[in-house]
Amino acid sequence: MSITRRDFLKTCLAAAAAASVGIPLSPAAQAAARKVDEGWRWDKGVCRFCGVGCGIQIATKNGRIVATKGDPDSPVNRGLNCIKGYFNGKILYGEDRLTQPLLRMKDGKFDKKGDFVPVSWERAFDEMERQFKRAYRELGPTGVAVMGSGQYTIQEGYAAVKLMKAGFRSNNIDPNARHCMASAVAGFMQTFGIDEPSGNYDDIEETDTMVLWGANMAEMHPILWTRIVDRRLSNDKVRIVNLSTYSNMSSDMADLEIIFKPQTDLAIQNFIAREIIKRDAVNWDFVEKHCVFATGPYDIGYGMRDNGKFAFAAEQDTLAKQRAINLDAAEAVGQRRKAGERVQQTNSDTAGKHWLIEFEHFKQAVEPYTLDYVAELSKGDADEPLAQFKTKLQQLADFYIDAQRKVVSFWTMGFNQHQRGTWVNEQAYMNHLLLGKQASPGNGAFSLTGQPSACGTAREVGTFAHRLPADMVVDNPRHRAFAEGLWKLPAKTLNPKVGSHITKIMRDLEDGSVKWLWVQVCNPFQGTANANHWIKAAREMDNFIVVADAYPGISTKVADLVLPAAMIFEKWGAYGNAERRTQMWREQVPPPGQARSDVWQILEFAKRFQLKEVWGEQTIPGLKDEGFAPNTLPDVLGAAEQMGYSPDNTLYDVLFATAENKKIKWPDPIAKGHDNHTVKRLGDGWFVEKALFDEYARFGRGHGHDLASFDLYMRDDVRGLRWPVIDGKETKWRFNEAYDPYVTKGSGFEFYGDAMKSLPSGDLDAVTNKELVKLDGKAKIFFRPYAAPVEQPDSDYSMWLCTGRVLEHWHSGTMTRRVPELHRAVPTAMLYMHPRDAEAHGLKRKDVAWIESRRGKIKALVETHGGRNRMPRGTVFVPWFDEGVFINKLTLDATCPISKQIDFKKCAVKIYKA
Amino acid sequence: MKNAIILKTALIACLAGLMSIARAADALAESDMGLSKTSVFDVPTPAPFNYQGVMPGGNPVYKRAYPGAPPQIPHNIELMTPVKATVNYCLSCHGRAEQLSQPLQGKPTPVPASHYTDLRHAPDKVGNKVVGARYVCTQCHVPQADVEPLVKSKF
Repeated sequence: MSITRRDFLKTCLAAAAAASVGIPLSPAAQAAARKVDEGWRWDKGVCRFCGVGCGIQIATKNGRIVATKGDPDSPVNRGLNCIKGYFNGKILYGEDRLTQPLLRMKDGKFDKKGDFVPVSWERAFDEMERQFKRAYRELGPTGVAVMGSGQYTIQEGYAAVKLMKAGFRSNNIDPNARHCMASAVAGFMQTFGIDEPSGNYDDIEETDTMVLWGANMAEMHPILWTRIVDRRLSNDKVRIVNLSTYSNMSSDMADLEIIFKPQTDLAIQNFIAREIIKRDAVNWDFVEKHCVFATGPYDIGYGMRDNGKFAFAAEQDTLAKQRAINLDAAEAVGQRRKAGERVQQTNSDTAGKHWLIEFEHFKQAVEPYTLDYVAELSKGDADEPLAQFKTKLQQLADFYIDAQRKVVSFWTMGFNQHQRGTWVNEQAYMNHLLLGKQASPGNGAFSLTGQPSACGTAREVGTFAHRLPADMVVDNPRHRAFAEGLWKLPAKTLNPKVGSHITKIMRDLEDGSVKWLWVQVCNPFQGTANANHWIKAAREMDNFIVVADAYPGISTKVADLVLPAAMIFEKWGAYGNAERRTQMWREQVPPPGQARSDVWQILEFAKRFQLKEVWGEQTIPGLKDEGFAPNTLPDVLGAAEQMGYSPDNTLYDVLFATAENKKIKWPDPIAKGHDNHTVKRLGDGWFVEKALFDEYARFGRGHGHDLASFDLYMRDDVRGLRWPVIDGKETKWRFNEAYDPYVTKGSGFEFYGDAMKSLPSGDLDAVTNKELVKLDGKAKIFFRPYAAPVEQPDSDYSMWLCTGRVLEHWHSGTMTRRVPELHRAVPTAMLYMHPRDAEAHGLKRKDVAWIESRRGKIKALVETHGGRNRMPRGTVFVPWFDEGVFINKLTLDATCPISKQIDFKKCAVKIYKA
Repeated sequence: MKNAIILKTALIACLAGLMSIARAADALAESDMGLSKTSVFDVPTPAPFNYQGVMPGGNPVYKRAYPGAPPQIPHNIELMTPVKATVNYCLSCHGRAEQLSQPLQGKPTPVPASHYTDLRHAPDKVGNKVVGARYVCTQCHVPQADVEPLVKSKF
């Protein structure tokens, strides 16, 4: 097609026919709409996709979903959905839904090299149990693992964490949410001592400046973006800034676009801090009352394995940098050292330690981050004049510093999937705290989240290798004791040694230290970087991989046992979104065939274990903790008997069907005629989802995490509530006396989180005074330096590769690619590149190109048209939703060493014509 | 007689269908599962595609996914995107007639009244311009490429 936009407009606007206009629905049309509606049952629900947490209404008829719509009463989205959101119903109905368990078999027996054969649930659980017990007997609690999800319902996550940590005494449970917001969590915990944002989505309507740092909200948080666009178009003072490594759909509405080089956001943030100090704009009243200054070690590695035993030959050079690096010129300046200096990464295992410093130290640390240095380092578009880029950086600082402006900074994966993800999160708070623009309406650094319940489940329930519910952690004896009390476990049942994070579980499969894995509500073999290693480990090592899913995808393909899972509206559930809003829904339709909810699967599996099999003495390699023998979890069966348990009790009886939970009966009037297949299949008459939620909610009450009761969230007039919910009332801005009942009266602000609030003191390089200082009520302003990415383009692998999502597809595409409208909207993952880069590689639009990294190679179609993304020269983008364009075979499994979250945003690749 | 033949043919087809299902149900190789019918170790070659409807007006409108679902765009939008704060080419044809500089060719689907109503700030009022929350058309409306569904939908 060779017409121009100008031609098109001419044709379009030229001729005669009258236009039809937007007219209000006529009475006839309204009547027609009502007729369609006849016999439909509408009920409230929550969108299945991103972290925004839009409310939806679901229409069902004869056991099937027939329509959904944006809930006009939801304060999140006020009747709107994005293109994915409109297909919440249709995702359930792909023709190849998994409807029966499938086991790899040969000659009627399990065989890892066999094909998938349909089996009964009984047979599936028999094999799963046999394989579990084999791994558990051989390796103990660390030899088994669960990969969970930020898409778990709250009840699913809670059941999984309880079974793993209290039942199997294993901390090897970690969610795909590790890849999504672990850096945000670490940033919150280190800065505030408590997880999750202080503000909420109302900040959009309250503010006049919104700065996006590595958050392409137009595609990834579409409905929040509609609120931002609405705010921008309805007020001339409002400004939007988009900072990104390439120009994207969020740039289309931005007043200022800053294209920077990967990882130089660290330097840009320090430039702003330096400007704040230089312009004497520090809000000293706020800082002196509510903040302290802190820093930590720089030599923390890159979260990779520290040996090359399993690495491909081409990977060895990148991997070697885990142990030591030569400082490049730019990071030498930012770290006040000499270029070329060899730096051993001695704090790789202690990356999170930090100490107090004085303001003078902080000022000295940001001093090198001058406009000249930062502009030279960070300018990401080779075709942009340096002078123009400098002006933009100054404008950015102006927006933050302007006393007449309120500012909200938003970020997601650009910050979180980052080799210094925790640092860059902390830097966002650094500038907001220096200015006192935090925790008040329209002012705040606001970490968005990617998945529908990354906050509500993964974080709040604590389905991480180190966590327990309500911000508690397994390596804190006080927290373990609290959990053991609430769960009625003998003392020292819980394992104090942090388990394997999700990437480490993959590595554990490869080195044989994990031999049994259960994957729930995620597709980690498509979604984890450096995938060639993990798919091979799954298929070729001596292990047993169970994957519960609704549709076949990469993870089911490498599984040994596939369990058919019920999808979102085929079960009762609850999600928590990025503004701390907890929302619930009822089961709307029955799951197809033999598909069952994950809660049912977890509880049924728990029936197959007696206390005597798990609560005896267990070996935990590397366990060293006060009160525990080395490498050993004690036998707690004696103590259990004293508590009234029998060694023959099952984990189902002890952990789930407790006397208290069984008092919560099904049916319950709150169901309003809706069914509950989980309860019916379990067959013993207790309302599992309600009982588990109300039990879980007890973890957070009284210390800043208060959730309301199950029944309150289910009420027809409630569209979710933002925690802490005190006396039935939600909290809109935390840490702010005007809104948060936890803040001491008269203090104005109080950052009351209590984690990591007792620190030694030192200078920029080390601790100089070990005496611990208590920091009650304070937030920390961290200095964090620029650090160069561990792998950068060179003469062989000459381009940056960035990965991410597209608006039209969700995550690995197993649901949205089965909706024909969404598939036709974006049929395959494209290789987005600059037209001149394409030309230089002998490629043109829609050609098939090879993309190759040190870790693998795949093929994709070249896209140079700038309607969606406009790449700077030297950078390409490939989304990860397409299993046929398996981009995670190429990505690097380097992580933020503090958060252990993978950096999916930068590695080096080469491109050539296929 | 003719009917009997048809019936017989249908029956055979039916049986064949059942048998193939039965065979598939016996054992399914991983390379027969999922959206890419390949082994996870293979590297498939993506097929090129085009968005349907080169020019607006040349293609019939698509059936909506269900009553109330946003309509898909029956034409290529490469020349009309991106939608920017300063310019929204979609509204050049789909906006209100009296706000267009010239009359139109064809019958572009009009932006409905709902899009002139600000559900957050003034839910009872129909305004005279598309509300900000609905300004970026491509957040809900997408073009359609000339590709077959990867698997059928039973919705």
